[in-house]
Amino acid sequence: MSFYINIIHRPEMVPEYLQKGAEEGKQEDLARGTVIQESLDIFRIQQQTAHDNGLRTTIQMTYSSLFNNEAVALAREHHQRFGDEIGSTFLGLQCHEFRNKFKSKELAIWLFSMDDKRKIVDEVFNKFHEVFGFYPTSTGSYYMDAELVNYIKKQYPMIKIAIATCWEEGPKAYRNANNSWYTIFDGSPWNPWIPSKHNIHCPASDEEDDIGIVAIPHLSRDLLAVFDGPGSYYGAHPQNILRGMVYEDHEIPYFKNLVDQYRSMIRYNRGYAYNMMYVGPGWMSKNGRWEADYDFLLKSYREGMAYYGQLKKEGEAIDVTMSEFADIYRQNRPYTRPECTLWKDILYGSRRQFFWYVDPWMRFCLDMNEGGAIIDLRPYAARLIRPCGVGTRHIQDASYPFLVQSLYRAGYFTHYAGEGAVKSCKFSHKEEEVDLCTCRTLASFSEEGNIRTVTLDPVDIEFDKFTIRVQSVFRLVEGTGEIEIVRRIIDATGPEAEITIDEYITGCYGTTEYPEDLTGIRLSLKGISENKSIEYAYKCREAEISDIIEAEAIIPQISTRLTMRTDTKGAAGYFREGFAFSPMYTIGIKSTVKEKGELRTWLKVEKAS
Amino acid sequence: MAQGRKGKLNYRCPRCLIREIDMDMLYDQEADEYYCLRCSFTGNEQEVLRLNAQFRDKYRDRTRRITDF
Repeated sequence: MSFYINIIHRPEMVPEYLQKGAEEGKQEDLARGTVIQESLDIFRIQQQTAHDNGLRTTIQMTYSSLFNNEAVALAREHHQRFGDEIGSTFLGLQCHEFRNKFKSKELAIWLFSMDDKRKIVDEVFNKFHEVFGFYPTSTGSYYMDAELVNYIKKQYPMIKIAIATCWEEGPKAYRNANNSWYTIFDGSPWNPWIPSKHNIHCPASDEEDDIGIVAIPHLSRDLLAVFDGPGSYYGAHPQNILRGMVYEDHEIPYFKNLVDQYRSMIRYNRGYAYNMMYVGPGWMSKNGRWEADYDFLLKSYREGMAYYGQLKKEGEAIDVTMSEFADIYRQNRPYTRPECTLWKDILYGSRRQFFWYVDPWMRFCLDMNEGGAIIDLRPYAARLIRPCGVGTRHIQDASYPFLVQSLYRAGYFTHYAGEGAVKSCKFSHKEEEVDLCTCRTLASFSEEGNIRTVTLDPVDIEFDKFTIRVQSVFRLVEGTGEIEIVRRIIDATGPEAEITIDEYITGCYGTTEYPEDLTGIRLSLKGISENKSIEYAYKCREAEISDIIEAEAIIPQISTRLTMRTDTKGAAGYFREGFAFSPMYTIGIKSTVKEKGELRTWLKVEKAS
Repeated sequence: MAQGRKGKLNYRCPRCLIREIDMDMLYDQEADEYYCLRCSFTGNEQEVLRLNAQFRDKYRDRTRRITDF
């Protein structure tokens, strides 16, 4: 059982937030001595706080700090005295030297053109080598696209780990910052992974697909709160929590609750769990931040670090540097092994649970408040090559596309005009129909061999004359890229009644709240005796066949093939095209049973050729 | 009217905060009030603090140490 912690600090000479924001009325001045000194002081306090608690850190040198003798000397000293790692970051690029060389105010490495990215990488790493006499083995930014990492790995093969994405920092983060913060990259794993060469969000499928580094997320975030709310409110970053105002009377138990829930992930991941804290100096400004004065900012940081230190002293946590973690992570880590967790609400006082799952084929989330509905589905199997930055089709939009994102695309529908993206199941008898989305429940997790199972507590569905008790089970066989879903009627007060079980997925695709063009999506049904197929044209068409083998949606826009199949004899399959006011497609499989019947289906995403 | 300036502790607009938008306000010293350039909120510090407390109410577990996972 091992809970690993990465503590990462960066000496940021010109912090994003300090330079202009906190001091009203001053013009931008990249060399302002007071700002640099304050920033270094904060970095020093952060380092001391970690060391006082017996924790080692990774010092990610910013480009600007490589020109500051004091910052360089501090890094050297702490490396020698405490065993801290000296790494490099592409955050904090801006300084006089950068401006003179690159003539740009751009601050985000992933948003430069590919040509500029290459030049900046060379400049940053060679400057690092000039200062320290060696190349770093760890690097990072808020986002590192696969094209950038592929270049780094080719030119600087010693790099073994990078902070590669911020979990679910997408349209929500953009909106949270009054539509001004261009970190738009939803869709990654929430915990470390080995990325694909094709897309940084996707875990690599095999050695050939392995990009050559271990990726870690920027911050360990609340897997329920951040799915709906801003990423910068709810994570293992004390000042993020202050930004979200998750405290009362200057007390912040939420931080420890969050860390402890991450610790609990050993239960779902074969004894391994991970947490990271990465706070830039700007978040601890002497002028205060987010309605918190400096004393409260400092208190929150010290308490957070003290908790990590306490866990270490109690033998409950292992502090490692980034590169050490990369080595540990790669030991005994088959590419097909998923990361999963049953996350519970620790914020709003509900009992809501999400089950998150990531493997090289897909990422999905089950919402137990909606009877185990899939509310997020990303087709990693498609391995979408989707470069970002200037000169690409998606300059700022670096998210990995979804097939289902229930919050961006309505989900279980609560008004009359259309459908929303969700994967669920309906039970019907004559004219009555109940969707499991309306049946709140809880779940438990179990594992046997290479099969992971999520078993939901039974729910009662009330029809006019009788009640049935239904249980849902999700089975995940490692290496198959499929979700097996069993809907079982385990009890009924009207045993003779015929019940139709209708397993369906209503999907779309995209990266934002706004609809994309679905034209050309192919919906198909393959049965024992007939096949049907249409190309999506917003014509509201529907089809159904008996003896279904497979229902399929091919979404050429994101090179994805989505299928449902069943082993239930006599089941029917159907598809439903949407219309412009309801830009969705639905495929489903249904079967009519009496008494204690069940429907078993398999959902799969693949790359469409 | 006086020039708006940053107030102490860069108060965000509490009305925008409730819809999870971080919008820094400006402070009018003459009127002793903060104002939002986005949603037209105006209020003194006491009003901002009152609404911020209201914002925190949604976190029903904000004071609870949870150890059962």
